[in-house]
Amino acid sequence: MKRFRDLAIQRKMILIIMATTMVALLLVCSGFVVYDVLAFRRSILGNLSILASVIASNSTAALAFGDSAAAGETLAALQAETHIVEAAMYNSQGQVFATYSRAAGGTFSPPPPQDDGHHFGDDHLSLHRGIELAGERLGTLYIRSDLAAMRTRLTRYAQIVGLVVATSLVVTLWLSAQLQRLISAPILRLVHTVRRVSAESDYSLRTASTGRDELGTLIDTFNEMLGQIQTRESALQERTRQLEAANKELESFSYSVSHDLRVPLRAIDGFSLILLEEHGGELGAEGKRLLQVIRSSAQEMGQLIDDLLSFSRFGRLQMERSEVDMNGLTRQLVEELLALEGPRRPRVEITDLPATQGDRRMLRQVFVNLVANALKFTRHQADPRVTIGGFATASETVYFVRDNGVGFDMRYADKLFNVFQRLHSTEEFEGTGVGLAIVQRIVHRHGGRVWAEGEVGHGATFYFALPGQVLEASPGAGYS
Amino acid sequence: MLCLLLAATAPAASEPTTPTEHQVKAAFLYNFGRFVTWPARAFADSTAPLLVGILGEDPFGTEIDAILRGKTLEGRPVQVQRFQELRDLGPCHILFTARSDPAFLQQLFATLRGRPVLTVGESTDFTSRGGVIRFYLEENRVRFEINVRAAQRAELWISSKLLKLARIVGEESER
Repeated sequence: MKRFRDLAIQRKMILIIMATTMVALLLVCSGFVVYDVLAFRRSILGNLSILASVIASNSTAALAFGDSAAAGETLAALQAETHIVEAAMYNSQGQVFATYSRAAGGTFSPPPPQDDGHHFGDDHLSLHRGIELAGERLGTLYIRSDLAAMRTRLTRYAQIVGLVVATSLVVTLWLSAQLQRLISAPILRLVHTVRRVSAESDYSLRTASTGRDELGTLIDTFNEMLGQIQTRESALQERTRQLEAANKELESFSYSVSHDLRVPLRAIDGFSLILLEEHGGELGAEGKRLLQVIRSSAQEMGQLIDDLLSFSRFGRLQMERSEVDMNGLTRQLVEELLALEGPRRPRVEITDLPATQGDRRMLRQVFVNLVANALKFTRHQADPRVTIGGFATASETVYFVRDNGVGFDMRYADKLFNVFQRLHSTEEFEGTGVGLAIVQRIVHRHGGRVWAEGEVGHGATFYFALPGQVLEASPGAGYS
Repeated sequence: MLCLLLAATAPAASEPTTPTEHQVKAAFLYNFGRFVTWPARAFADSTAPLLVGILGEDPFGTEIDAILRGKTLEGRPVQVQRFQELRDLGPCHILFTARSDPAFLQQLFATLRGRPVLTVGESTDFTSRGGVIRFYLEENRVRFEINVRAAQRAELWISSKLLKLARIVGEESER
């Protein structure tokens, strides 16, 4: 059977009303039946007492004169009352004086006489009564009546109660089904609205109010809350729009600035080269060195600008989602990266990687940046080793790139992914500090997260996790 | 059965011996008093005794005194009076006589005419001559017959309960 608390509110109310009604009805019926049975018993006893009085009064002479035949005749008058089973008269010695029995044959062995009084048995009522004349007790009368009348009455009562209960059941069912709507209908309307609001995120919906009771208050308050949410929602959307616009503006500004910066840079580099080649002799050794510094700085700045442009591009690029085979992807890029390493032969191990959903180009960039980092920071290692691995959890697919390079201090773990954040000097390891920022940006656009573990001198592990159920990240998610 | 009716009237003193015919009759005399109502003028006042008279030979002896000792009827003490001859007859309410000679009875009823006396006898023609109640034996049991006309004449009201037990008879003139 379904648990009560899981039942719909309509059924609950109907059940409650019905149960209450039935209990009340049964209590009332039992009360009536008990009262009537008691009253009926009293009435039976009263009738029997009167009968006994009449018989006793009519038997005084018979007892006084010892005429048991006459007493028997008096008792025989009891046959007019069909419920009398048997009767007996005793003289003052307690000896049986006369008897009467309804049964054919008409004899029975009367019980020994008892003190005056009555006794209700299961199916009979017996009565003992003194027969007195002018204060002198002449004998005792015993009458036994069956309770068939009471049984008949009880049976009829059971039928009536059954009928009343059955009728009430039907009427109550109908009535409660009608009346419960007064309460359940507004609740159901409210539930309907709540569901739609939740499913469609439509905060302009409202529920019709019902009145000034608690339900009306609830609905009014709920409508008010919806109004507040609606206001906030539109304010939020407006704010988001403004932020997006500002961000786009900023983005295109930085893009064009970066782009425009490259032109003078190229001029600086180009003219420095011309100066070096055509007027090198006039400059002397120190002049040539300084020109070299100018050139390498300009080139470094050019690289910085390129990286910034690429960082910006990964924020703006349209995502193209597809099933991505991470094993093939990583194997190919590792070969390409190793080819650039020259004579050095770091060991790169790729364990079986779970496939995922995402933008193949972007995910490739994630791995390129992470593996390139790993190769870079293992450069001074005697036996450089890089491991690429991955595993799936219930909600995410996690990938990692582990190296045995210089590692980092965990205190700076949360700064690693910021733009231009570098934990090492350019002299030690080249780079602009944009690579991990791009990784984070791409992973965030996929709705995932990034983190890193490491220890100075003991290598580092970079993780990124993509949600198992791929969420279409909103464009804004890319800007962090 | 005889012992039962004696027991009914004298429970405390009764012994399990079978009562004699006259013991039964003595008890009946008292019981008659319980079912017969006398006119008010029969008594001097509400506490005046009810007198049971025995005229002539006394067949009860001391038995009747024993039976009636301490008995009351509607608050009246019951007393036994014995009269040898008719001329000795004093006031009484129940009068028993065992005598049967017609002349005596005729004289007796003439004497009692108009007086509220419940006459009880044993002779065969007691009621037909004007007596109210007569004892007779039937299957060895003491029974009685009642002359209702005589009772009415004596202004005695006899309970139907008593009449129910009795054989109702008329008088000689009515036969």
